[in-house]
Amino acid sequence: MMVDSPDRPEPLTGDRNLETEEFVVNMGPQHPSTHGVCRLILTMDGEVIKKVVPDIGFLHRSIEKIAENRTYHQFMIYTDRIDYVSSMNANHAWCVAVEKLAGIEVPERAEYLRVIMAELNRIASHLVFLASFAIDLGAVTPFLYAFRERERIVDLFEMTCGQRLTYNYMRIGGVSKDVPKDFVSETKKFCSYLYPRVDEYEAILTENPIFLGRTKGIGLLDLPTAINYSVSGPPLRGSGLKWDIRKDEPYSAYEKFDFDIPTGENGDTWDRYKVRIEEMRQSARIVEQALEGLPEGGIKAKVPARFRPPQGEAFARIEAPRGEMAYFIVSDGSTKPYRVKIRTASFCNLQALPVMARGWKIADIVAIFGSLDIILPEVDR
Amino acid sequence: MRAARQVWSGVYNLVLGLVTVFKHLGHKAITLQYPDERMPMFERSRGVVVLLSDPETGKLNCTACMVCARICPVYAIDLERSEEPDPETKKRYPVKFEIDNTTCAFCGLCEEACNFDAIKLTGKYEFSVYDQKTLLYDRDFLQELGRDVPYEKKKKPLPKAKAAPKADPTSPKPEEPASPKPEESPEESPGEDKPEA
Amino acid sequence: MFELEGIFSAVGDFLASFLGAPLLQIVSIIAVAGVVIGFLMVLALFLVWWERKLSADFQVRIGPMRTGPHGVLQTIADALKLLQKEDIVPLTADKKVFFWAPVICFVTCFLAYICMPFGKGLIVRDLNIGILYIVAITTFTVISLLMAGWASNNKYSLLGGMRSAAQIISYEVPLSLSLLGAVMLAQSLSMVTIVQGQGGSFLHWYIWRQPLGFLLYVTAATAEVNRTPFDIPEAEQELVAGYNIEYSGMKFAMFFLAEFINMFTVCAIAATLFLGGWNPPFEFLSFIPSWVWFLGKSLFLVFILMWFRWTYPRLRVDQLMAFAWKFLLPLAFLNIIVTGFLIYLFE
Repeated sequence: MMVDSPDRPEPLTGDRNLETEEFVVNMGPQHPSTHGVCRLILTMDGEVIKKVVPDIGFLHRSIEKIAENRTYHQFMIYTDRIDYVSSMNANHAWCVAVEKLAGIEVPERAEYLRVIMAELNRIASHLVFLASFAIDLGAVTPFLYAFRERERIVDLFEMTCGQRLTYNYMRIGGVSKDVPKDFVSETKKFCSYLYPRVDEYEAILTENPIFLGRTKGIGLLDLPTAINYSVSGPPLRGSGLKWDIRKDEPYSAYEKFDFDIPTGENGDTWDRYKVRIEEMRQSARIVEQALEGLPEGGIKAKVPARFRPPQGEAFARIEAPRGEMAYFIVSDGSTKPYRVKIRTASFCNLQALPVMARGWKIADIVAIFGSLDIILPEVDR
Repeated sequence: MRAARQVWSGVYNLVLGLVTVFKHLGHKAITLQYPDERMPMFERSRGVVVLLSDPETGKLNCTACMVCARICPVYAIDLERSEEPDPETKKRYPVKFEIDNTTCAFCGLCEEACNFDAIKLTGKYEFSVYDQKTLLYDRDFLQELGRDVPYEKKKKPLPKAKAAPKADPTSPKPEEPASPKPEESPEESPGEDKPEA
Repeated sequence: MFELEGIFSAVGDFLASFLGAPLLQIVSIIAVAGVVIGFLMVLALFLVWWERKLSADFQVRIGPMRTGPHGVLQTIADALKLLQKEDIVPLTADKKVFFWAPVICFVTCFLAYICMPFGKGLIVRDLNIGILYIVAITTFTVISLLMAGWASNNKYSLLGGMRSAAQIISYEVPLSLSLLGAVMLAQSLSMVTIVQGQGGSFLHWYIWRQPLGFLLYVTAATAEVNRTPFDIPEAEQELVAGYNIEYSGMKFAMFFLAEFINMFTVCAIAATLFLGGWNPPFEFLSFIPSWVWFLGKSLFLVFILMWFRWTYPRLRVDQLMAFAWKFLLPLAFLNIIVTGFLIYLFE
């Protein structure tokens, strides 16, 4: 009802006798809505943002260098810590890359379990997005609701692998443990529980006029810019490109499942939100299918403890909740990788922020930043 | 007309949000009053690391084979093997077994690697202390922690588990047998090159 | 029998029996001020606790539980903690303004209660321009917020202060205009006359004759007291805490308590003007004391404001302005015109 036309706000023009001055605001590294320790250097004209410079690196732990000093098995726990909101996917990416390097055949059941875990983790990650995005816009209550559901997913993970955040569940050649007895029934219960909950979030947010006013038409990212900035994941799909590695370059067992790739139209903040909401439903669909067809058999290929892949290099990428996560490994034939390069979605997506945020208000940059769903450890690594 | 519909949809959705939130009033809280109530931990929960003892003899299961120390990604385990085997069990034992809980990542790789049911991650998670140094758990303390931890004897892997990556014949064969073999005399398995700490 | 009017007049008579007239006046002024301020402080503490409990209930949490049964003493504990905290004044702050801002905020929020009819005969002073006075005095908040934002010498608080100035002044216009409908119906600006005009059953409440005015008032009042969805001056996610970012200790507590008292003020005005004030909804319920009705209605409106807060996202600053000037203001004018026309037609 009070939704204004989503045009970019005109720059302020002062009276002739009135001098205005741009000023710099340091948003972060300690700021409630920079999702960790990111510092945005904003050049502002009143409330309007003229320039954004993200200052990153506060969380740098040189994980790529650590990889050169750890065996392939040992590095698994560091992948957990690259993207702690979706550790399963980070595990998965590392496994896929190493298996490609060494040509390891993964048992069917392990692939299915990986898909189930990765998709559950995707739902959990999107729930965290939803929670923090809602709180960025000032709606606190959906935060608690989203975390209520995430709690159940985390319980499922803890039941299986024993941890609630840094799962360290997957292993090169399979997964570490088979799922416990009641995992399948519990997960099925969770999936049927999730659909009405997602509807509930939509009832609170999606069509709410205040929410629409804050998100619709805000932070436009058109498709060419998105591609030029190497944006991936939901922000890219929100801009309208149907690009999902699960479909386009299927890894694991993804080609066996039937699911849709939701896309947006305008590439605004609302589209990116909506894409994630839809992805939650699609992920639940994948989980349900995978549970139906969960094959029997081994869960781990035989990989020696002193695992030495052949000399060479491998590049593998997967669709993590935030976009493409890729590992490039160079092996010199020893137990430790010679070099590991990690491509994380958050890092690339963050680069598009200055383009998206220019000309909007300080309240909008919070929404735009939230809609990119940046995880700072993933940016800095 | 369009404006009217927009206003109607706006009002409808505002009310819908209010109703949705209102429905949650009076529900049972999902949170717990922590120190009074506790979450039941799952059997596989990975918390504090303990050393397990044989319930009959009361001695440590550990034979100080160094597998856990070698697999540990953060080098949190400091382990020293006895020179002579224990006269009763005829096995060697750790004279020093320290786990640095400040660096431990609770990844569970040590438990997975262990072939003697000697080390286990438990559901215990409260180990805050005022002094950081007390987080360096020594052997006796770890053993004490593990006294009440029930565990099932792992099925001992067959000794012939000489796993070479079957799937990839091109890969260079590891000179050593794959996972440290569960030899009868583990003290013979050489310390190998310990990852540089 | 539970009407407080009798008690107060009895106390007054008792004091008059041994005090001279000039002394009595001074004593009674101090006593009344003490009673009102004491009541409001307790109320503010209660509201803070209630908000926390209510938000917890909305969010399937528990809320404070430790201090006292169900945490009722939590706010007192918090206030004590804030009292003990170091009072930090930024080095580059404008010290005098920085000091007086919370004081003005805290003091002015009590002034509105001079002509607030708590119950039958329970009013400090029935001014014949009561509602005008209240509307004028509640706007004082903006001065203190602007002072706080400016004096802190912090970019965030400056933005917050500017926002609050723009917002409160803008919303003052539709707020006052939406009250006019009720004033026209009562033919008076006096709060007591307005309440008396709504006597009888609940059908006589002005909300039925002023539904639009009521909605406009509640919306504008939410903005007036900086509650979500209009809490942009302190928008936590954007400006961290807005105008009070540099305040700590008791000064912060003053802002905080003033916010809750202001919230009760606007709800009490709405209850008085639109929900019949102290009048019971039915005649046969008049055995319940009038102040209970007044408190109940006000707290019900407070509940609604809290319900808003825990449901809605926050508006952006320009949307907020557009909403006030392009949406609320025309509707407020329309409301006045229609009301005047109908009064002319039927009376």
